[in-house]
Amino acid sequence: MRKSLLVVVSMLCLVTSVLAQTHRTVTGKVSDESGSPLPGVTISIPGGKSGTVTDAKGIFSLSVTTETKTLRVSFVGYEEKVLQITSDNLGSIKLIPDTKAISEVVVVGYGTQRRTEVTGSITSVKGATVATLPVQSFEAGLGGRAAGVQITVPNGVVNNPPVFRIRGTNSLSLSAYPLIVIDGVPTFTGDVGSTSAPLNPLSSINPEDIESIDIGKDAAATAIYGSRAANGVVFVTTKKGRPGRPRISYDGWVGISSPNRLPKLLNARQYLEMKNEGLKNAGNANTYVPTLDAKGDTVDTKWMDVVYRKQAVSQSHNVNISGGTEISNYYLSAGYTKQQGILRQNDFIRKNIMLNLNQRLGKALSIGGKLSYSNENSLISGASGSLEGEAFASGGLARLAFLTSPIVAPYNNDGSYNVDDGYIGGGDNVLQTGIYNPKVLLDLDRSNVESNHIQANVYAELKPWEWLTLRTTYGGDYIFMNNDIFENAISGDNAASNGMANSIHSDYKRWIWTNTAQFDKTFNYHSINVLIGGEQQRDQRERYGLQRTNQADSYFNNTEGGWINDYSSDLLRRQNYLLSSFARVNYNYREKYYVSANVRQDQFSAFGENNKKGIFYGFSAGWEITKEQFWADSKLSEVFSGLKLRASHGKVGNLAGLGDYDALSLYRPVPYGGDPAIYYYQSGNPNLGWEVSKKTDVGLAFGLLNNRLTGELGYYYNNIDGLILQVPQAPSAGIPHTNTTSTIPVNVGKMYNKGWEFNVNFAAINKKAFSWNTSFNIAFNKNQITELSGSELTSIPFVTSSLEQTSVNKVGYPAGMIYVVLTKGVDPLTGRRIFVNAAGEDVYFDPAAQDKYKYADGKIASPVGTKDAVAYKNTNPKVLGGFENTFRYKNFELNVLLTYQTGFYVYYGSYAGMKDQRYWNNSIDVLKRWQKPNDITDIPRVVNGDNISNGSSFAIAANVFKGDFLKLRSVGLTYVIPETAVKPLHLTGAKVYVRGNNLAIVTKYPGPDPEVSSNGNNASGQGVDRNTLGNGRTVTVGLNVNF
Amino acid sequence: MMKKLKYILPLLAVIGITACQKDLLSALPTTDIPDTKAFDTPDRIASQAAGLYSVLKHGKFMGGKVLIANEVRGEDYTNERSNNVTLFATWKMVATGESQEVKEIWSQGYKTINSVNVFLAGMNAKGTSVAGKEASDSYIGEAKFIRGLSYFQLLQLYARPYINGAGNQPGLILYWEPHTVAGVYTRARSTVAESYSQIIRDLDSSETLLPKEAATATRANAFSAIALKTRVYLYMGMWDKVITEANKLVPATAPFESDAGYQLESNLRTVFSGKYTGEEAIFTLPNSEATNDFPGTQTQMAYYFNPAPLGGNREYNLRPEGIIGDAFWKATDTRRKLITTASGKNYMNKYISPDPYTDYIQVIRYAEILLNLAEARVRSTNALDPQAIALLNAVHGRSDATTIFTAASFDSPQDLINTILKEKHIELLGEGFRAMELTRLGLTIPTKSSIIPPTTPTTNNYVWPISSDELVYNKGCKDNY
Repeated sequence: MRKSLLVVVSMLCLVTSVLAQTHRTVTGKVSDESGSPLPGVTISIPGGKSGTVTDAKGIFSLSVTTETKTLRVSFVGYEEKVLQITSDNLGSIKLIPDTKAISEVVVVGYGTQRRTEVTGSITSVKGATVATLPVQSFEAGLGGRAAGVQITVPNGVVNNPPVFRIRGTNSLSLSAYPLIVIDGVPTFTGDVGSTSAPLNPLSSINPEDIESIDIGKDAAATAIYGSRAANGVVFVTTKKGRPGRPRISYDGWVGISSPNRLPKLLNARQYLEMKNEGLKNAGNANTYVPTLDAKGDTVDTKWMDVVYRKQAVSQSHNVNISGGTEISNYYLSAGYTKQQGILRQNDFIRKNIMLNLNQRLGKALSIGGKLSYSNENSLISGASGSLEGEAFASGGLARLAFLTSPIVAPYNNDGSYNVDDGYIGGGDNVLQTGIYNPKVLLDLDRSNVESNHIQANVYAELKPWEWLTLRTTYGGDYIFMNNDIFENAISGDNAASNGMANSIHSDYKRWIWTNTAQFDKTFNYHSINVLIGGEQQRDQRERYGLQRTNQADSYFNNTEGGWINDYSSDLLRRQNYLLSSFARVNYNYREKYYVSANVRQDQFSAFGENNKKGIFYGFSAGWEITKEQFWADSKLSEVFSGLKLRASHGKVGNLAGLGDYDALSLYRPVPYGGDPAIYYYQSGNPNLGWEVSKKTDVGLAFGLLNNRLTGELGYYYNNIDGLILQVPQAPSAGIPHTNTTSTIPVNVGKMYNKGWEFNVNFAAINKKAFSWNTSFNIAFNKNQITELSGSELTSIPFVTSSLEQTSVNKVGYPAGMIYVVLTKGVDPLTGRRIFVNAAGEDVYFDPAAQDKYKYADGKIASPVGTKDAVAYKNTNPKVLGGFENTFRYKNFELNVLLTYQTGFYVYYGSYAGMKDQRYWNNSIDVLKRWQKPNDITDIPRVVNGDNISNGSSFAIAANVFKGDFLKLRSVGLTYVIPETAVKPLHLTGAKVYVRGNNLAIVTKYPGPDPEVSSNGNNASGQGVDRNTLGNGRTVTVGLNVNF
Repeated sequence: MMKKLKYILPLLAVIGITACQKDLLSALPTTDIPDTKAFDTPDRIASQAAGLYSVLKHGKFMGGKVLIANEVRGEDYTNERSNNVTLFATWKMVATGESQEVKEIWSQGYKTINSVNVFLAGMNAKGTSVAGKEASDSYIGEAKFIRGLSYFQLLQLYARPYINGAGNQPGLILYWEPHTVAGVYTRARSTVAESYSQIIRDLDSSETLLPKEAATATRANAFSAIALKTRVYLYMGMWDKVITEANKLVPATAPFESDAGYQLESNLRTVFSGKYTGEEAIFTLPNSEATNDFPGTQTQMAYYFNPAPLGGNREYNLRPEGIIGDAFWKATDTRRKLITTASGKNYMNKYISPDPYTDYIQVIRYAEILLNLAEARVRSTNALDPQAIALLNAVHGRSDATTIFTAASFDSPQDLINTILKEKHIELLGEGFRAMELTRLGLTIPTKSSIIPPTTPTTNNYVWPISSDELVYNKGCKDNY
């Protein structure tokens, strides 16, 4: 597709060339970095219109005027070269693979376009940038590499889908995750597993198999995906074979990750001091006492060391072979990776194989396809506390690591586990010392998911005439998962049920059939391209599980073993169907004026009977100013080598995250005392329709110094004036729901994102021995909710993990504001926490008094609670971006990527727990607690049992911090082994590299990492750090060899 | 021809996609029944009637948390786990509108009520003609019983007792109409008296519609409605009406074996093991080991109150200073066998099934009706009523035959009342009565820990606040303070 377009374009160039001056013929031979000939390479005259392409042997010959001094050599996937014409035969020209963001061709929906023709906002990232990163899925490596693209890796659990936002949060109740289209097939996203080990379906793609990632941001770039385009569309193109001899390549790396910035906690001595002081202050006669180990020493357990790996080891290996001829090509790759998380027992293992085949049959027909299979294992012992909904899991390991008292040990002195009735034992202590014994959970429990993921497609393309391309593509995306859960009978959630095993089989199945016809015609400087097409997509999900409890013998730890009780579990069967037709017109005049329009009609099964159909559109225009005569005549043309203005507007939709039957009212079967029964289970919305937004975009792309410096400035306004909101219903209405707060999806609510983006790339130095490339991007975004449900509902609180109200969506504010009770420090005279109630009054809280809440004058006040919360701080980064520098000196290359986000706050909920005055262990900050009048501190007087002063009962402003950060995201040093050294080994190239990831961070945020999310991708609950596992830092060494 | 082909080919491509499966755009779920088909067959309507009980017996409502809240608000327990999820704040008497249990019980209660309202509307529109009058009357009577019971239980937790101003305090938000779509549901609270009137209306109607036969106790019958009315009138302080209703069930003299077939089991343990639906059970909520037929995590009675060796999580133990320390409760009283000890602590052991916790919930049993009648008789006669003493002896004597009360045992009618109340406290321990038994009489909830002062009837936390969700989304609703 790409190639045929290129050919067409090159021919256009030929047609329009003007032969006037004296001519000579220049010849040469183009090859790749290993010396294999490259056919199809475009040879053109800079600034001019004539050109040619190389033949099958990589040879070209081009007639040029005598005045022509330079030739441009360009080819997809390779860095462009501009050569001085020193003689008629330029000899052998070597192209090196392109790693720059901007290339010739970008992928758009159902086709490709030359970058110069694109009038939408599309940012491209080369596959090589993410290929060897120590990440499980490619999108986790995109942070800082594209303007306006926010990637937040929410925690240190491996294979967790990152929070992925393009130009801000574009949905509140539905998914705000972009649509990911892999080789033309939209794929599943999110966490598709059913265990505590997340399973991101995008991790099935080996990042090393990715050729390019094109990120469509505005309506012009996305509207062809109509109802699914509102969050942006990410086009992933996998590698294809290139004409030439077979190429074999191996890439492998090993790495070590370690936890970073873990909180500092009290040791046993400090714990005893703090807790006994608290007991005394509470008037409680009990005391905590130390326990002794077998040697008679005081137990002082560092639970962080029990829960975290000091050094997690990861490795990845990938081999691929590719090649082809003019009429066929292939790419076959196989990969293996095993990555350990910083949490013990948390691993990710992937084995994958991918084959891309393309074959031309005769002149008009070509066929091909892709087959990709991956087997993934996401392993974890149990809840880490980091996934959405897990924050308050009793067995959440990240929390147990800081909560469990240091005065007790994992084992008793006889070597048995230290447990007491399912909880951690306290030795001689009558008071509680923790929840579960994390060592038992880590040793015995299992919450694994194995996925077999097949992505395949076949196509046939018929080109009966040069101007017409007919194409049919059938694709499938099938994920088969086995979830394997075991919880022991000794300590944990299922100790009371004497152990539990659960096996859940789950299928995600999608097929998609796309038919397109494309017309290309050029006449008299007019170039027109029309695409029409139709598509249908069907999803089916099936899931069933068998849960067994009451272990017959401690020997059994899988579902198939010996158990007393059996239950069905996790039953699910649902489907949806999307039926679409679409069209696009691209037109340009003299490659100077561009217009484009696209339209799509979607019909989707999940919407209400009368609202299943939606029409979406986008239109855009571009103006290549440098092609204007007045410009060429002006001095500016000496400075600018390119200047293009573009603008677009369109209407797009979103349906991701909507339930397949949300429009329906349903009765669910349930036994009543063994008899059949059905109950009113769901109130639907028969009028449910599309979530729609209108996107406007203006951009100015420029090139200076013969395109050594390129960049783009953009402005966008995304008006999401047709949100689907899960509108909460008054509980007394009794609307059925599985949650305590009942909601029904309704088409109400408005929100916008607007902002600026700027990026610049500069080849600052380009000498033979030394080069320096630098690129910088920055994006400013403003998000604001302008309407929820009419005038009645202007504020919808959000509750983290069904327990703690942390956030609010409120009219006039950005999405997901932190929603906390204001605090005014600690009263220096009495050591009481000062809260500010809804009326704005200071309320002093004394946990030890009979009347706990009082005003300053001693009058009794009403208890303070979440009803006094205010929309306190914004969680959406206002500014974000990246700064990348690549230095090359002889055979060394150093790449440094910095990323930053500013203008947002994080609610550090874990810190509330670390100051909790129940049995919980505390942060060393608690040592600064108030002790006597005139102590100035932000830690109140410690009183045993107090879970209010420090924010455990309701979220408080004292635990909210600025999240602004600058991260040394990635540093890589590569050494290209000289040809002279690798030739004798029959290698065509080899390099070794060492790379650091997440090495340093500059932030005032006191928690492990301000890049965090306790609520996963949920758009309403960002910026919450509640009992999650921080991110680790990783150092890898790698080797790449080519045969 | 060639020229035409140029246009035919692309059209063919587009036609290819119109060969689609339009029916898939309106495919119905195969695992749930759409509302449009919910009243299609008599069997399905029968299933719906049974389903109303399933909603009622949810662990967040009558299957667990309503009972647990009433137990731990009382003075009999010590909390062991400091866990707000298992009602630590409620036990400490500091529950707020945002507390999980306050929101959950309110929400699940109203889900039960709306299920009834939706069912009644569906019966009216279609169901009655499909199921036939006789069956329909019975289903409607059951539905109203469930609604009356739900309103009654919510009223005890979220509103001041009737005794406080004869019901002039804010009561519940009352709904009779079905809610099936998104809307702005704004309605103010009725008074406590109006709420009680609605409950009585439902139960009177139930009594009329339901068959007068004591079939299985897991479904309501006319006697269940009558029995519940004795409780409702007792909580309103309408002693005569308690007597009128109770007399429909209870014969005038010992051994008080009801014509309807109700009588006390010889051993109380029988009511709480194996024979859940025996002669003493008037209305009971069944559980079974079938999937989803037992209460969910952290809502099960045996999980809260039993020690670990018995499959519980020992969330709460019995305070030695609570009712188990009362000298009135003799050591030889067989009801003490429903208390178990572990690690030197006492645990309420009426519920005995370990995971998945399939104990039935005894909502109304005959012993309560006898004591309701006894109390009402003394209060209405203001005398040492002989029938009251006989009723007391019937209940007490089953577990402690060595004590036989006579008129001489009591100094005054009040003394007799106090004895009946104490008897009820012991008899119904663990069955979700304690806090509401205190509040209905305007009694102070005693202290239960050095950090929890006694809760007097005038304090804000004497009853729960309204769910914070209700206050946010129903602007017509006012909190209790």
